Amino acid sequence: MVGAFDFVPAIVLLPFFSFLVALFLGKYMPKGGALAGITATAGSLLLSIWTVLTVAGFTGTATTYQQTLYTWAGGMEGTPLPYELTFGLLIDPLSSMMLLIVTLVAFLVHVFSLGYMNDEGETGLPRYYAGLGLFSASMLGFVVADNLLMAFMFFELVGLCSYLLIGFWFREEAPPSAAKKAFLVTRFGDYFFLIGVVAVFATFGTAAFAGDGSFPALAEAALAGEGGGDVNTLFGLDPQAWFTVVGLLVLGGVVGKSAQFPLHTWLPDAMEGPTPVSALIHAATMVAAGVYLVARMYGFYALTPTTLAIIAFVGGFTALFAATMGVVKREIKQVLAYSTISQYGYMMLALGSGGYIAATFHLMTHAFFKALLFLGAGSVIIAMHHNENMWDMGGLKDRMPTTYYTFLAGSLALAGIFPFSGFWSKDEVLYEALVHGLGGSPLLLAAWAMGLLAVFFTGFYTFRMVFLTFHGKPRTDTARNPHGVRWNVKGPLAVLAVLAVVAGFINMVPVAKLTGLEIEFLHDWLAHGPSGLTSEHYSELTHDYANYSVGTLVGGELGTALISGAVSLGLALAGAGLAYSLYNVPEPVEHTDRLGSAKDVLFNNYYQDEYQVWLANDVARGISRGADKFDQGVVDGVVNGISSVSLLSGSRVRRIQTGVVSNYAALLTLGLVALLVILGLQGGWFV
Amino acid sequence: MTTKPQLNDDSNFLPGLAALGLFVVMAVVFLQAEFGAPEGFPADVSIVASIGYAMFDISADQLQQQIVSAEGFLAAFLIMAIALDVAIDAAVYLAKREEAGEVVTALVEDVRSDDPTSGGEPSSGRGPAARADGGYDSSDASSGGDR
Amino acid sequence: MVPPQYYLLLAAAIFCIGLFGILTRRNALLFLMSVELMLNAANINLVAFSVYWGNVTGQTLSLFTMALAAAEVAIGIGIILTLYRNFGDVDVTDAASMRW
Repeated sequence: MVGAFDFVPAIVLLPFFSFLVALFLGKYMPKGGALAGITATAGSLLLSIWTVLTVAGFTGTATTYQQTLYTWAGGMEGTPLPYELTFGLLIDPLSSMMLLIVTLVAFLVHVFSLGYMNDEGETGLPRYYAGLGLFSASMLGFVVADNLLMAFMFFELVGLCSYLLIGFWFREEAPPSAAKKAFLVTRFGDYFFLIGVVAVFATFGTAAFAGDGSFPALAEAALAGEGGGDVNTLFGLDPQAWFTVVGLLVLGGVVGKSAQFPLHTWLPDAMEGPTPVSALIHAATMVAAGVYLVARMYGFYALTPTTLAIIAFVGGFTALFAATMGVVKREIKQVLAYSTISQYGYMMLALGSGGYIAATFHLMTHAFFKALLFLGAGSVIIAMHHNENMWDMGGLKDRMPTTYYTFLAGSLALAGIFPFSGFWSKDEVLYEALVHGLGGSPLLLAAWAMGLLAVFFTGFYTFRMVFLTFHGKPRTDTARNPHGVRWNVKGPLAVLAVLAVVAGFINMVPVAKLTGLEIEFLHDWLAHGPSGLTSEHYSELTHDYANYSVGTLVGGELGTALISGAVSLGLALAGAGLAYSLYNVPEPVEHTDRLGSAKDVLFNNYYQDEYQVWLANDVARGISRGADKFDQGVVDGVVNGISSVSLLSGSRVRRIQTGVVSNYAALLTLGLVALLVILGLQGGWFV
Repeated sequence: MTTKPQLNDDSNFLPGLAALGLFVVMAVVFLQAEFGAPEGFPADVSIVASIGYAMFDISADQLQQQIVSAEGFLAAFLIMAIALDVAIDAAVYLAKREEAGEVVTALVEDVRSDDPTSGGEPSSGRGPAARADGGYDSSDASSGGDR
Repeated sequence: MVPPQYYLLLAAAIFCIGLFGILTRRNALLFLMSVELMLNAANINLVAFSVYWGNVTGQTLSLFTMALAAAEVAIGIGIILTLYRNFGDVDVTDAASMRW
């Protein structure tokens, strides 16, 4: 019987066809190929919904799907390759959920692009829609990948597409530079990822994510003392240490793609791209790819406590670090960019502290509300004739109510205000970090404290943005007479606003604990699936190998959950309240001067760019200059020296060839005498 | 001014020391070496006859006569015959010379001057080149060798 | 019987005399003669060891050596002729164009 899984390749291929169509036929089509993209992503969305329903068991028994489609190297008779390199599909609750998110956001972004690009009369639309199509296809291919190598390939494709789309307005000065920066910085991380992929192959001989022969399963068996012979660790490290190294290598790619400290600098610059692209990159695809990768191979990371601790700590630090930078930005998209970095920090914090479900939950809610916020910002930018400075806005609330209310819903979710979706997911992230921190992992408590502090900043910058943009009095003529937006902008906003409000209800942990109702749908969702890929299995692993156990404050689990939720909600409200008192006035003024010298540091993003430029310019260039000297002097010097020695000695020694036969005879004779003497001495002829 | 007679010689005797050195080394080695008594030949056997039979690979059991044993040399004999033939041909070829446009060679035969097969040499007079350099040519070599 | 050492010493002496001629003389004809001496030194050894082993192989071989010497002389004379024709002399050191 033909089931949903037979159409899974089509989910990936449809946007790819739209890429081809838009690229080659786009200029002959109305709307520059937009309709092809919309049709393709709509088809993908429908197929994804069907897939999710199949996985959930609405069309029969709950089931998952793993299928190798194509073996492109190895695996044949007589090939010396010890590995099989394959393309395959893995559809389980996690990937099907991600498919749904990606296709939904991609579809809405395509629709929104009609308003943002077509209605604004942009040129180069076929290129734009081709990029969007390829981007969606790459991300979907990444999501359904059943092995690490295939994931890596699509990971790289996603990076390439982000380069193409961020640099869409290549005739201006900033976008090409931002595109190159995004490409290079993520490539720096991907370099480690590539080494990690090779290391995985060298260690396990396979890169499959799921099944008995998958590398997380092999790693678990090796650590449990069974079948350790199947695993080749390198450099004489024991399996635990070597798995940590491999995990950190792969993590390099994650840090680059998910814009974690210290490779986050590309993301704010990537705001130079068209706003729908920003929505796609930061909500559902590229940045999510990093976190999704960790979640995908969580069975491997859960085995190495060091890696988990690093992930948690980097995540918590990034959450706080980016949030502090967000509070001083003037451009609306810059604020959103730093909030994105910060929110992905939360996901990493959750993953590192054993909160697989919390991370997935936050990934989902964030995809919705951040896509909403970016699209809302795009709507504002249309209205403001592409002026992004919030200080030129103000008072847009009355002139564009749809945008305002949807944007407000997204902001409430981002700030984590009850009962919007962000509250539930962020609360669960912090709860996981707290209980596991209390249960004997004090490092997690530090990460948790940073994440908690970031909640306050999140509330502050989110509502500073809202108040500056929509409240008060219009500060410029443009803001008094904004450009109108049409249905194709309002439609996606409305859909996402609904999701931003309700998406949190699928996993209301505190409510469930309080009332005893079985409403933790996401828990149940992620708890089924192929063995070894379930959240229950992951929590066993973190408990057994990373010694994560649950500790509580007063009142047991329920009390802890309530306290945690109350504290984070209180902090978010405090931040929002501060923003209210400072900026919700008719004529807001900049308060950044009160920060003193910290203002400069924050405005300059903690001098991260300068420091990286310094790294590139002074350190790297100095090292390469030294290497060049070494190359020119020592390596070339040795080669040239050897050649000049042989040239010189050749020109001297050839004088032996006098052409006079007597000399040759004399040399022969002398040679014979010498040979006889040597042989005689060795053979004892002269005794 | 010297009164003693001097050897009119342009030789340089210094390299000769190498030969002397070789002799010294060999002499020392030979004198150190131990040899047993030589076997010698039986008294009643003809050495010359033995050599003759050895040259043509005739072994002792084909004969009534007693001979000294040796290895067969028939192949060497044939090869040597060819080598000598080649040597004489080569010598003749090397001795060929050109004088005033004419080839002077040891093998002169009365060849027609308008021989169309003659080589690049201008054939004025009696010495066409084609046959003259035939020292390598098989037909001419055999005839020249026999002569 | 005469011990082999004496034959060997004689042969070595003759060989070295021939070698000495080659090393010191410049006349190509003298070269030929010297080479002849060296070949004959080898012949002496062949004959001596033929007696030593009681086997006529060495003696037969020495005959072939003589034949080969004749061939060698035939070629050698030819070369000397060419040498003389090209350099106007039989001095071997004149023909030194095949060098570095």
